[in-house]
Amino acid sequence: MSESGIIDYAVLIPLLPMLAFPVILFLGRIFNGTPTWVKNLKEGGIIALTVMGASLLLALAVIKEHMNSIGATNVFTWFETHWWEVDGALTDRVFGVGIYIDHLTVMLLFVAAFLCFLINIFSIGYMNTDPINDNRNHRFYAEFVLFCSGMLGMVLADSFLWLFIFWELMGLCSYLLIGFYYERPSAAYAAKKAFLTTRVGDVFLVIGLAMLWNMFGSLDYAVVFDPVEIAKVSSSELQIALGMMFIGAVGKSAQFPLHVWLPDAMEGPTPVSALIHAATMVNAGLYLVARMFPFFQAADIGSLSTLAIIIACIGGITAVMAALIAFVQMDLKKVLAYSTMSQLAYIFTGLGCALWFANNGYEELATFALGASLFHLFNHAMAKGMLFMASGSVIHEMHHAHHEVAHHEHDDDHHDDHHDDHHDDFDAQSMANMGGLANKMPITATAMFVGSMSIIGIPFIGGFWSKEGIIASAWKVALKEPVFLFPAMLVLIGAGMTGFYMSRMWFMTFAGKPKTDVAKHVHEQTPWIPIPLVVLTFMTLSAFILAGMHAGAWLGDYQSGHYSNFFSGVGEELQYVFLNDDPFLMVLTYVTIGLSFILGPSFAMALYGGSLDDDDEAKPWMQWAIDLSARVNKNSNFDNSAWANSSLAYSLEKRLHFDDWYDAAMLKIVVGFAYISAKFDKNVIDGVIKTIESTSQAASAKLRTLTTGSARDYIMMTALGTLAIFLLLWGVA
Amino acid sequence: MKPEECNEIGMNCTEAFSTEFWTAISPELVMVIGLVALFIIPNLGNSKFRIPLTKLKIPWFLGGKRFAITGSPAIPGMLATATIFATLGMMAIDIIDGSVKTTTITSGDSILFKIDAFSRFFEILFLVAVLLASMATLDRIPAHTFKGKKSMDEMYDNRRQADLYILLLTTAIGMCLVALAQDLFVLFVGLELASLSTYILVAFHKESKSGAESGVKYFIVGSVASGIGLYGLSLMYLEFGTLQLSALRDAWSGTSTLGIIALGLVLVGFGFKVSAAPFHFAAPDAYAGANSPVAGVLATASKAMGMIGLIRVLVVITLPDSSGTLSEESAIWLYAIATLSVITMTWGNIAALGSTNPKRMLAYSSVAHAGYMLAALSAVGAWRWGEIDAPVDYAQAIVAAVLFHLFVLVAFKLGAFLVLGMLEMEGGASRLSALSGLARRDPLIGTAMFIFMLALAGVPPLAGFMSKFLVIAGIVSTSVGTVWVDGSVSFSDLHWVWWLALAMFLNSAISVFYYLRIGVVMFLDIPEEGRRKPLPYGASIRMAIWICLVATVILGLSSDTLIDMCYRAAESLDWD
Repeated sequence: MSESGIIDYAVLIPLLPMLAFPVILFLGRIFNGTPTWVKNLKEGGIIALTVMGASLLLALAVIKEHMNSIGATNVFTWFETHWWEVDGALTDRVFGVGIYIDHLTVMLLFVAAFLCFLINIFSIGYMNTDPINDNRNHRFYAEFVLFCSGMLGMVLADSFLWLFIFWELMGLCSYLLIGFYYERPSAAYAAKKAFLTTRVGDVFLVIGLAMLWNMFGSLDYAVVFDPVEIAKVSSSELQIALGMMFIGAVGKSAQFPLHVWLPDAMEGPTPVSALIHAATMVNAGLYLVARMFPFFQAADIGSLSTLAIIIACIGGITAVMAALIAFVQMDLKKVLAYSTMSQLAYIFTGLGCALWFANNGYEELATFALGASLFHLFNHAMAKGMLFMASGSVIHEMHHAHHEVAHHEHDDDHHDDHHDDHHDDFDAQSMANMGGLANKMPITATAMFVGSMSIIGIPFIGGFWSKEGIIASAWKVALKEPVFLFPAMLVLIGAGMTGFYMSRMWFMTFAGKPKTDVAKHVHEQTPWIPIPLVVLTFMTLSAFILAGMHAGAWLGDYQSGHYSNFFSGVGEELQYVFLNDDPFLMVLTYVTIGLSFILGPSFAMALYGGSLDDDDEAKPWMQWAIDLSARVNKNSNFDNSAWANSSLAYSLEKRLHFDDWYDAAMLKIVVGFAYISAKFDKNVIDGVIKTIESTSQAASAKLRTLTTGSARDYIMMTALGTLAIFLLLWGVA
Repeated sequence: MKPEECNEIGMNCTEAFSTEFWTAISPELVMVIGLVALFIIPNLGNSKFRIPLTKLKIPWFLGGKRFAITGSPAIPGMLATATIFATLGMMAIDIIDGSVKTTTITSGDSILFKIDAFSRFFEILFLVAVLLASMATLDRIPAHTFKGKKSMDEMYDNRRQADLYILLLTTAIGMCLVALAQDLFVLFVGLELASLSTYILVAFHKESKSGAESGVKYFIVGSVASGIGLYGLSLMYLEFGTLQLSALRDAWSGTSTLGIIALGLVLVGFGFKVSAAPFHFAAPDAYAGANSPVAGVLATASKAMGMIGLIRVLVVITLPDSSGTLSEESAIWLYAIATLSVITMTWGNIAALGSTNPKRMLAYSSVAHAGYMLAALSAVGAWRWGEIDAPVDYAQAIVAAVLFHLFVLVAFKLGAFLVLGMLEMEGGASRLSALSGLARRDPLIGTAMFIFMLALAGVPPLAGFMSKFLVIAGIVSTSVGTVWVDGSVSFSDLHWVWWLALAMFLNSAISVFYYLRIGVVMFLDIPEEGRRKPLPYGASIRMAIWICLVATVILGLSSDTLIDMCYRAAESLDWD
């Protein structure tokens, strides 16, 4: 327990958005269409923004206070209830909502609160100018704040039970938000798919939690993280329980083999994609796995290694698989979706390393790996949030440009009465329709540029610091445990692949000549969209500051006084990365840089590079890349048609057939089972209930005929009752 | 017992009609004063008394041409409501914070009344019920104070104002007597005072066929039950030579034949009051014929009154003291009450399933609730039967659960009757279709009714859930006893009263059907012809419904204060 402070009010962080949910919904219902609601309140957007801003400020205050007094936990009691105790006395058993704040919480709290706030700003630009959203944005903002409340609550909860409750709240909201355009069959399908797929994981999560409860008698962190308690339980059982919980995390974070929902989830509005893929839902699974750290620390040495290896392997497999699929995607948001899967997989691998180290007694290495993973989570969330918003900006402007172009044509033909109706085949999300946008959307292009570099791991920018840490950790484990060579190899290959597909995306969108007429007319409009992009660009660029503060390390809390000297911190970090004492690690660094920085982008430039239109000039910090790509493209004459027409490319386009297999399995097994159970329900269960109902109605009619209405009969019944009482009394006496 | 001896053993005794006596019973006294005022005030007039053989006339004020202010038909209702409210206020203050001063009122050697947590608890329950009913009646049978020609019904209403409230007050006084009584005879007198008043209240609409018929039927069956009970009391007096509770408790022997016969007869008398099957037959008829607020009082306060009798007889008299000398045969009523409880709850619920008259349905539901409470009493019997090894807290917890149940019933059962009372204000409420579309016609009242139904069905977090939970938990923990402490419990270790909890559980499941049907009718059906407009206004009946609604929700969410009250009341019974 900490002394009282701002942390006492931490419960408001998730509570405020939760309270805003009904407010926005009802106000929207009442005031929809009125000028104040649309203009001044942005159809609820301003209310949501206020609440998220308050949450963010509170979260920052809490984080600051936590930094000053490390390791505080705080319990806010929601209500008390009396339960019967066995010895007859009544005792108070408190059922409450608790707040648990440690380094992990703080990291996730900042990421979630900060990104939710920025995405909210972005949404106001994106959602409110979309004509098909007329009169339903209040629904979006209401669901949005509820979603944020779920994430913030999950991060702050002090027990696995509340974690699960908020986890499910997020599941619900993601279903609602992905299916926001529910009139579109594909959106409805995607929403269902996301919900059902994560449900598979959640079932396992519940099983895991039940096992945990069975072992510890509680799900409070304070109880289950107690090393004494952990030492008491059987570690093989614990391993199964944690494994079950890990499957839940796999579902939530879209890892192999429960990854199929995530690309389809792009059917939701773009702010939702940013919310789900960057800030919140996908990080929930990582958070859950990171929360398991104390178990691995306290359990017997090596007893939980298998699970750590499984986690790392799942991560490695997903990293490469998702990157492969991303090679061939043409849809801008889908590339980002697969990139998300791939980067999350890195974090899982890193966590797997951390857990392996923790379980095998390498405290310092474990905290390093954990720190690197969480730092990558941070970098990825910032970069990916920005990338999604930037892609949203592109799509939004493409849409508008298309609208303008279509409008123009219609004007020429004097058909302006149909100008709002642009439901044709034009795909505003396809990169095949873009190209050469770098000078037309400078802010967006810059954001995308920086974000991509961060994801790729270009030295000194964002994700570079953390990705190096993860790869290094994986190889360090591999030196001790040969099985780990598999994930370690995969993440190394994945780094190169990331370089390719992220560069491909950027060059296809922003470099070269505009591929369609629409792309020529694109320009940035609303101020709401660039603000978050600019903020996040600086966040990503300044990740080296955090690196200098040993952001990775302080999460593990193994060195003290690490913010005291910032410059030496940066120096140490640089030395650690580039001139490591261990020659193996040093070589590894340069190999990684070579793969991700040189090899991957070079291929992408060779295939998709090109200069802008002659009279166009991008901002200087991007122009060099475009020029370079044009030169590489011209000189290489690289022909990939053999690859592009291969069966591998085909199956990659088909997402390696996972969806087909799952659909087939669904149709054969699940639907068949559903029919049987429907029949069972109709005939057996309903039948039984109907029989009970008709029988009891008949009995009721019979019984009520005894109530004849004649006082004589009543007295007779009284007499009979008296007789019965006598008999019963006599029988006993 | 002389006050001096009494004080020696740590009780606070007062001889009847002494000075302390008047202070001690001051709340009840307020009611009596209100009653007298109700007699006098409407009759104030300009009559004069002529001194014989002179022409001197002295103003006499009673009779003659009534004064306009005091003769207003609105006066009795306001007076009665204010009286009950004042009494309630005087009582409520000390019971809520738990500092009831136990005062015993004696007359010579015999103890007449005892003011303690138990009796105060019940008095408050009765007064709350009667207060709500009287508030509702202000609108349900309104006083027509406007000038001009009145219809026949309105004239009837006006003439009967004083009668109605006098009867309500006598009902309240009788019930309070029952709560206070420490002598079965005094208890019986109070019971009859309350019963006779309710018989008339049921038949209050004597010009309508159903009202007159149900009143007479209720009276006949009730008198038979009272007669049987009184006969039982006389046999008891014959056997033990006293009707004092404490003396009977010492003298009671489960082996005495006459005693057992007396017990059986007394159980019939009280069984009618709590409407246990098969003595419940008159209840549905009476509730259906009475106007709804009165039916609400019958279903809550009157039932609680019968429950006091049962608790006094079953728990206080026939249970042995902790020396346990009589433990083998003292709770001989265990099987009888257990059987009765199962029959009662099943009968009530099954009969309610088919009822299309909402008032009859509520009547049957109240029969079922009586069954639940009898089941709880059986568990107390099982506790003292000697088969269960458990401390006294177990039994106290069960009695407290029964008291809690009785109290919260006032919130939601009376509330449901008051909603029906609102419907009666615009016509009858004897068909289910009268409720159709209520949620659309008056969303607030419709929602309130739905919440009352949910509470009756026992849906958390409403008060009805808490009461059922406490009763079932009490029964189960008694049936488990202290075996639990040894570790795991096998099924064969359970006492058979466990099956009563199961029966209660199954019955609750059945009951959900007919409670929710009301909701379906209110929310989904189209209103009847002629019932399309919003409900009549009725400020005070609405307020009464709101009070019930708030209590239903609050007592479910934070029931600690009330549970503590029930515990203190249960503890203040003679347990050792």
